[in-house]
Amino acid sequence: MSDVVAEKAAPPKIPSPARETGRGRWVRRLAWVALLLVLAALPLYLEAAWLKAGQYVMIGGVGAIGLTMLVGQAGQLSLAHAFFLLVGATGYTVLSGPADDERVFGLGLDPGLALVGAVLTAALLGLAFAPVAGRLRGIYLGVASLSLVFLGLYLGQSAEALTGGTSTGRTPAAFELFGFPFSNGGPEIELLGVPFRQAERTWYLFLVLTAVAFLLARGAVRGRVGRSWRAVRDNEAAATAMGVDVTRAKAGAFAVSSAYAGLAGVMTALWFDILKPDESEYGTYGINVSIAFLAMVIIGGLGSIPGALVGALIVHGLPQALALYSADLGLFGETGGSALTPALISSFVYGAAIVLVVLFEPGGLAAIGRRITSRGLSRKPPEEDPS
Amino acid sequence: MTSTPTRFAACAALSAALVLSACGTKGGGSGSSGPDAEGVRTGSGVTATDITLGVMTDKTGVFKNLGLGITQGNELWAKDINAAGGVCGRQVRLETVDHGYKADTAKTLYPQIEPKVAGFVQMLGSPVVAALKQNLLSDKAVAAPASWSSELLDNPYVMIVGTTYDVEMIDGLSYLQEKNLIADGDTIGHIYIDGEYGQNGLRGSKHYAGKHNLTVKEVKITSTDTDLTNIVTGLKGDGVKAILLTTSPPQTGSVAAVNKALGLNVPLLGNNPVFDPALLKSPAASALDKLHIVASSVPFSADLPKAKDVAAKYKAAYREPANGGVPYGYAVGEVWGTVLKKACENKDLTRDGIAKALKETTSAGTENLVAALDFSKPGAPATRQVYVAQPDPGAEGGVRYVKPLFEAAEARDYVAPHQK
Repeated sequence: MSDVVAEKAAPPKIPSPARETGRGRWVRRLAWVALLLVLAALPLYLEAAWLKAGQYVMIGGVGAIGLTMLVGQAGQLSLAHAFFLLVGATGYTVLSGPADDERVFGLGLDPGLALVGAVLTAALLGLAFAPVAGRLRGIYLGVASLSLVFLGLYLGQSAEALTGGTSTGRTPAAFELFGFPFSNGGPEIELLGVPFRQAERTWYLFLVLTAVAFLLARGAVRGRVGRSWRAVRDNEAAATAMGVDVTRAKAGAFAVSSAYAGLAGVMTALWFDILKPDESEYGTYGINVSIAFLAMVIIGGLGSIPGALVGALIVHGLPQALALYSADLGLFGETGGSALTPALISSFVYGAAIVLVVLFEPGGLAAIGRRITSRGLSRKPPEEDPS
Repeated sequence: MTSTPTRFAACAALSAALVLSACGTKGGGSGSSGPDAEGVRTGSGVTATDITLGVMTDKTGVFKNLGLGITQGNELWAKDINAAGGVCGRQVRLETVDHGYKADTAKTLYPQIEPKVAGFVQMLGSPVVAALKQNLLSDKAVAAPASWSSELLDNPYVMIVGTTYDVEMIDGLSYLQEKNLIADGDTIGHIYIDGEYGQNGLRGSKHYAGKHNLTVKEVKITSTDTDLTNIVTGLKGDGVKAILLTTSPPQTGSVAAVNKALGLNVPLLGNNPVFDPALLKSPAASALDKLHIVASSVPFSADLPKAKDVAAKYKAAYREPANGGVPYGYAVGEVWGTVLKKACENKDLTRDGIAKALKETTSAGTENLVAALDFSKPGAPATRQVYVAQPDPGAEGGVRYVKPLFEAAEARDYVAPHQK
């Protein structure tokens, strides 16, 4: 339905869901289940350092899913993602922080509740920005949303009672669900000779969060909500004519995307074991992070949910993997190697990936993947599901 | 209707699962072991022949020059101590990783390096140290950060070699007052980079100001600011008698140049990191005569027997231009050597044993590369003594000492944030 609307400088066309044949669907489902099984088995084999790197990719994945829905599906450019990450991280730390700390403010809530609260806070703040998002579009919206990152920088530094300040930061409460701690404490668990400690437990927590985020996003994109987003993206007048409330759809997309960024923020605070606001505009919640998320969704293919995950794997995973390999293999020279470094190589790789994607395949890796699978489903037109 | 690629993907995923489950899991093999022949208990990073220490440095990021200097200093120390027979009959080895001054990379690299080392002889970068704080606590690993904020001292496993930024400021202000450059009741300006570094320096100046009825005009900047003209102009309007700096070297250059251009000509007082010999080649070079630098570690070419010895060894071993990181890296090694010897005497080279030995170290000497260090008081800086130096293009290394190691009375009474 959205595709019949004339295209007008819209992001690459993402086809509407098509009905799959029963068999293809089952094979596809099996593949997902197999992937999930492999991911669930990894903590038995991977060292803690690799698990840590994998968790970082999942943080990127959750954030990128949120952004790809906003930019790709609803057609709103946002550079504010890092700000909502900060909101989520601060929200979790404040809500779960001890109530009797004289230096910083805390509410002493259960960490599980605090996680939900932090995500809701991020969503509400995203909704509060909706009036701006509703009036601007394209690069103007990008620049306006960028201001939020600088607001976050200022607030992070000045609201010391909440963030702990740039000098020391503050430690978030270890995550706990129904009394089970996702840290080294609590019951000693061992499976197949592998002790399950913080790295392994956090892996499963992040895996579940990522899976839930993925399924919810897929549901949204495939359902009525996703159709209204795409309609608004392609032509607002036509969308209105078809009974879509444009303001509401835009605000909803912004709130949902912010909630995802908030969740990624909670995960960031848990991953770092510290909430520390940035000292300058480059940092954990700085404009470099907003741009990294944008890179993920462009590489993965605007609007594609699995594409966002692959984008996160490249943008967040590559520097980590290279750093770990360089330590293992002694790559990149001994002391003072100034030529090739893991950080430099991965910037080149994802910089080049963006350029190549924009030049040759505006649909990103998702479009490439879609083409490969559709060639398999031979006699069907190359129309696949968007997610 | 067949879907070969999808089916292929499914098969690949399933077979991957099977392959994985066929291999052995990573389980088994914990680090600690019983006492050796001499009755010394050992733990992570310590074998019968070696003691491995970790170096988490920045070889590729913004502080790669400093990181390289410190690492080379660490390496020189390891070479020297091994030539002298090692510690506890064991050779010292260094395990080096490069985090590029990125906290996220450091967080991933840490679990990889942690099981291999007894502790960390270098941990560069305040964001890195902050991100690894909980890890150090739960792994009980002693680490020497290349950051001198007294806020870090709430972690008993942090070993700060030298004094802290707040104490530097207190000592420095007392020096200015001793030279009659400031007087009780004056107004002074303090320009600082918001963050661990700047706020710790500010804490020191506020303490001294409280004791001497000075008014401190605080100016917060970020590390990316470069032109501080309007800030210095504003401070001139406030009638400041001195400007304190907890900034980066380029910012120091900007302040010095404007100080001269406006005819303000007040003394400038800066923490150790504000000066870099490269400033002497910058356009601000002619304006640096008002700058005083307070530090507890010596520059590369200090006029001390030990510093000269390290410098000579450095020139024999490396080709890169040296910086103050080299003697500092060597000094940290010396302190680690003292701690390890203590742990060896206690017959306990486990992580717990090393942490205990650190607490028992009351006078780690580095032959004046840094002041004598006392790690026995939790939360307190290990020394409160500093040198005062001034830039001097004629001197090798770019600075000349105007006051040897001393400790101000105000610094002695000062209570650090986590001091018990």
